[in-house]
Amino acid sequence: MDETRAALALARKDIRVASRYRLSVASQIFTPLYQGVLPALLFGASFAVGGRVVGLEKTIGTADLAGFIFFGGVISGLVATAFWAMGMSFRNEMENGTLEPTWLTPTSKETLVIGRALGGMVFFVFGQVVLFAIGVALFGLHLRWEMLYAVPALVLASIALIGVAHLLAGIVLTIRDANLFIDCTNFLFATASGVAFPIVLLPGVLQPIAYALPTTYAMDILRQHALGTRPLMDPVLEYVALILTTLVMFPLGRWAFDRAERRMRVRGTLGQY
Amino acid sequence: MNAGVWAMDLRALGAAGQMSLRQIRRYPSNFIGQIFWPVMLPAVWVLMGQAYSGGGDPQAMDAFASRSGTTGITLFIFVGYAMYMWLSSLLWGPGTSLRREQMTGSLEAVFLTPVSRLVPLFGPTLTNVVWTVFQLVVMGIAVWLMFGVVLPLGGVLLTFLIVLAGLPAMYAMSALFGAAVLRFGEIGPAVQFVRGALSLLCGITFPIVMLPVWAQVTSTVMPPTYLVAAIREALLNGATPIDVAPAAVFLLALSVVFGGIAIVLFRVLEASARRTGMLGRY
Repeated sequence: MDETRAALALARKDIRVASRYRLSVASQIFTPLYQGVLPALLFGASFAVGGRVVGLEKTIGTADLAGFIFFGGVISGLVATAFWAMGMSFRNEMENGTLEPTWLTPTSKETLVIGRALGGMVFFVFGQVVLFAIGVALFGLHLRWEMLYAVPALVLASIALIGVAHLLAGIVLTIRDANLFIDCTNFLFATASGVAFPIVLLPGVLQPIAYALPTTYAMDILRQHALGTRPLMDPVLEYVALILTTLVMFPLGRWAFDRAERRMRVRGTLGQY
Repeated sequence: MNAGVWAMDLRALGAAGQMSLRQIRRYPSNFIGQIFWPVMLPAVWVLMGQAYSGGGDPQAMDAFASRSGTTGITLFIFVGYAMYMWLSSLLWGPGTSLRREQMTGSLEAVFLTPVSRLVPLFGPTLTNVVWTVFQLVVMGIAVWLMFGVVLPLGGVLLTFLIVLAGLPAMYAMSALFGAAVLRFGEIGPAVQFVRGALSLLCGITFPIVMLPVWAQVTSTVMPPTYLVAAIREALLNGATPIDVAPAAVFLLALSVVFGGIAIVLFRVLEASARRTGMLGRY
């Protein structure tokens, strides 16, 4: 119970701090719209024949360009939450000088990550609701109730991403240029998950990496239910792969985080900037 | 203004450039980003193009060619992203240098020196040219190694000439932004917004004809529009210097307009700052 209270307090703190910078919050929501969604929609539409994106239909089995882009944004947003709101937040605490005092509280380290995950998820859900409302109102986005079938896949992917966030937190606490690292890896992780294009278009050497990511399966399952796209493989196998990769990612992330924490305790670098 | 003052200002301009060059050298990890993003961002869009075109479906490619004037998606995207990267380094670099000086507390000290106000406004732009050329070279190599597109030598030379012709307009635009952001305060959202708006208006990743008419009209007063279009003509359609000359004339005219507005705005802000003491604030 105490841990739950601590996690909720952390989430509240993150939300309160972020809400003090309203322009930044608005920027976080609208930047993906005008730097990602709009250019992608216009680029995709430039291939349209008689208003129908026949090329996309040939590639994934549906010509629903808006759906393809907006649902890609869901997984992209989830990944960004894990990388920036969870993984990078430890680094931010370190730079603010509040990491060591936080570490000295009797709260478990997992709670610190879970609390940040909760705070990040609030912004993620809020941002997605706004973007989807804009998509429906202005860009012909059609939502099908079948998309709800993908919720278990999204929950599993979120658990896997908490593991990834642990791993990232362990890394960013031990390297100097954490910002660049998170920026680049966030981009690569989302791209390899197929948020912008189907992973079968990746060069052959990169495809095994894509298949090792839980978010690849979550992305594909979400698009199947929401848009009726062709699956990468048998959907049952996709769920099996999603569960297996989650089972690997979560303990792997925890292990890496514990190692980093131990190393920092030994070297006394927790309070350093 | 006598020759001695001019010489002093030129020396100060050189010193400002040297200072920003030294700052670049102090953060070598930034070079990773300067290689990673110019390669990875356009590469992803090229793959998106493959997805949207159905792997080169003739109907889809014809549709794209009718709107963009080319079927060379790879080069189309890479040229657009060369401009995107230039805009990024421009806005994050010279465009925000005044505000960063203000945040580090050195702007007031700089303004107390007897040099022309044009020095802090345009000084940091000198080293930005280094990044721009570096990114162009990186992208040229990437498009060849990753997608097997060999750039025509004539087109490459003409591209460098077009970039030279566009330099004044681009830096005048960044000076205008730099003066405005000094007043606005928040760097991050301002850069994101302006870069996003320019990317949308200037046909970075899609043909401009896809925009609504009002946006197409707006794009005609933006320097990046002419630069992107002229470079695409040079590299994709074998344009000659005479073909791109009208774009160069427009760029020159825009550099005068943007430069003039930036200087006026800067003077207004400086006068206001003297009254309110804004320069020393964080």
